Amino acid sequence: MLNPLPIDPQQAFNEIATFQRKLAAGLQTLRGLGEQDYANTPREAIYREDKLTVWHMKGNHKPTAKVPTLIVYALVNTVWMTDLQEDRSLVRNLLEQGEDVYLIDWGYPDGADRWLTLDDYLNGYLDRAIDAICKRHDLDAINLLGICQGGTFSLCYTAMHPEKVKNLVTMVTPVDFRTSDNMLSHWVQNMDVDLFVDTLGNIPAELMNWVYLMLKPLRLNQQKYVSMVDILDNPAELKNFLRMERWIFDSPDQAGEAFREFIKEFFQQNKLIKGDLQIGKQPVDLGMITQPVFNIYATQDHLVPPDASRALQKHVGTTDYTELAFKGGHIGIYVSGRAQREVAPAIHQWLRQRGA
Amino acid sequence: MPDQANEFMKDYQAFAQQSWETWMRYLQQQSGQPSNPFAAGFGMGAAAMPQDDLLTRSLASLKTYGNWLQQAAGAGLGQTTNPWQQPAAMQSFLAAFNQPFTQTVAGIDSASAFGLDHQWQTWLQAMQQAGMAGGMPNQMAAFGITREMQLDQQALATAMQNYAQINARYQGLLQKVNAEGIARLQQLLSQHGEPGKQVESLKALYDLWVDAMEEAYAEMALSQEFREVFGALVNAQMQVRKLQQQQTEQMCRELGIPTRSEVDSLGKRVQQLRRELKEAQARGQGETAADDSLVDTLQAEIATLKRELAASKTTAKVRPIESKAGNGNGKTVTPSQRTKATRSAAGKRK
Repeated sequence: MLNPLPIDPQQAFNEIATFQRKLAAGLQTLRGLGEQDYANTPREAIYREDKLTVWHMKGNHKPTAKVPTLIVYALVNTVWMTDLQEDRSLVRNLLEQGEDVYLIDWGYPDGADRWLTLDDYLNGYLDRAIDAICKRHDLDAINLLGICQGGTFSLCYTAMHPEKVKNLVTMVTPVDFRTSDNMLSHWVQNMDVDLFVDTLGNIPAELMNWVYLMLKPLRLNQQKYVSMVDILDNPAELKNFLRMERWIFDSPDQAGEAFREFIKEFFQQNKLIKGDLQIGKQPVDLGMITQPVFNIYATQDHLVPPDASRALQKHVGTTDYTELAFKGGHIGIYVSGRAQREVAPAIHQWLRQRGA
Repeated sequence: MPDQANEFMKDYQAFAQQSWETWMRYLQQQSGQPSNPFAAGFGMGAAAMPQDDLLTRSLASLKTYGNWLQQAAGAGLGQTTNPWQQPAAMQSFLAAFNQPFTQTVAGIDSASAFGLDHQWQTWLQAMQQAGMAGGMPNQMAAFGITREMQLDQQALATAMQNYAQINARYQGLLQKVNAEGIARLQQLLSQHGEPGKQVESLKALYDLWVDAMEEAYAEMALSQEFREVFGALVNAQMQVRKLQQQQTEQMCRELGIPTRSEVDSLGKRVQQLRRELKEAQARGQGETAADDSLVDTLQAEIATLKRELAASKTTAKVRPIESKAGNGNGKTVTPSQRTKATRSAAGKRK
């Protein structure tokens, strides 16, 4: 067996010197960059309530879709991951395909939102947002595109208000919250969520970010930045990197009561698939979802493992169920080059086949 | 060879130090203040500027990477003899990687809202200045006018001790990850002893080390033991924070300052009122919608009657008016029935 590490000191020195040179030169590049913009697709606010805004996204062409699609994002992070930059935008891509796209921006909860429950979010805000879009288009039902926790919300909403949803698309959506590879779920099982919420009130965004960083501490907190040094001399790539960083750490706090319910009912008790979930006064039964369902998951998702999403098929009531496995991770499904080529066209095609 | 290695280390250290200082000067020019959310007190709201936050995080990570490079380079790389075939040399090499993982995790902890240690020290200092932390032994029976305060302090001291014990268990698990990660690194390196597969750069070695550590960490993080310790750690920290809040609120009440609990209580009532208002509005809209539906029905009925009237006028030219008229739904209604329907509809509208 040969020495697996044939690195001589001079070579090591050169490597470190190169790294340091890139780092030093990077100062010049960083100085001129400033804060990176995102969410640049033209849009119009068509409904506002408290901190929530429903945006109508504007494409270059008039939509050809007969039924508009509302993107329902998670309460963690912001919906602008779907519109990060011009060439990495699920929203722009859908608009280009002819879809008529709306999206919900939940806003940034503060103390006034401490007592918002899932009932307030789903049977309140979301329901009224959908009503506003239905009224605008003189329709009884629209398409929902739920993402991550927003996908879980969309499933719950559709089960409770089936008459208002024509087609349902879910992306990287947890359904079975107790799969063996779900690290987040594993960590909260022994947590006293009542003590947690009673103590913290709203859950600080920074705490949420800490949890996400701790899922892969070296990769997400160190290796990523080491790799950044390689692109310090490339302003375009560096801007992309900084834009993503902005999105990652631009996180809203979580409304305390909704967080308490979500951790207890979904993560700890897995009620969504056990069938005994109730939101407000309404039971949530996935079997009530008879609309066409398109479930997209990411094969390398470290936040929502594929099995957590794929569980939907077993529990949903529809006979028109389609699944798409995207080769990538939880974030790559929106921003990677492959995602631009595959995801939006697949959604568009699926909707068109269903007359939407 | 030893001289060459020494020269290398000296050069490297000087170079790294120079580079790091340049970056720090730049960072200080940009922000003028540290971004640790607890630096300005023990509250959670002192958020840093996004750019400052990014740079601080990035630079801290890069500094840890710099330490890693230094340790890797100083650990016997480039020896003419093959350390792989000398267990003692290999152990010495691997020992260089004992700290970087825990350093990185500790770095995330201390810069985050979860880092209680710094917060605890700040809090303790503030309470001592306020004359409210006398260092009461935990087991001493409380008495006298300050009895309740003594009990509060004892409870808090006990909670902090409990947290410290659980945190020690948590740190122990991270140390296990470190040890397991190094074993995995050794295993991974053993797969790189063939020509063409050798690890020929520090960066490649670093990436391999990250793979090994992350694998070991993932296995630990999904274990039953980690789940229990992590849950206990969160609960213990929340218990400390809760007791701190209670003591702070006690001080606030004495000073006539509104407390978080009071604000929460008000917020809860306001939210309940808002729900009731929305429900009432929705019910009101439902009634309006029912009225609208009734108006539509009546208008349709009137339109039918008009058509019938027009038709009957035409028919009258050839035959007498019939006593019955259709309602458009295949049923017939008499004029008196129509009047009744119209009246009852009008009554309902009131």
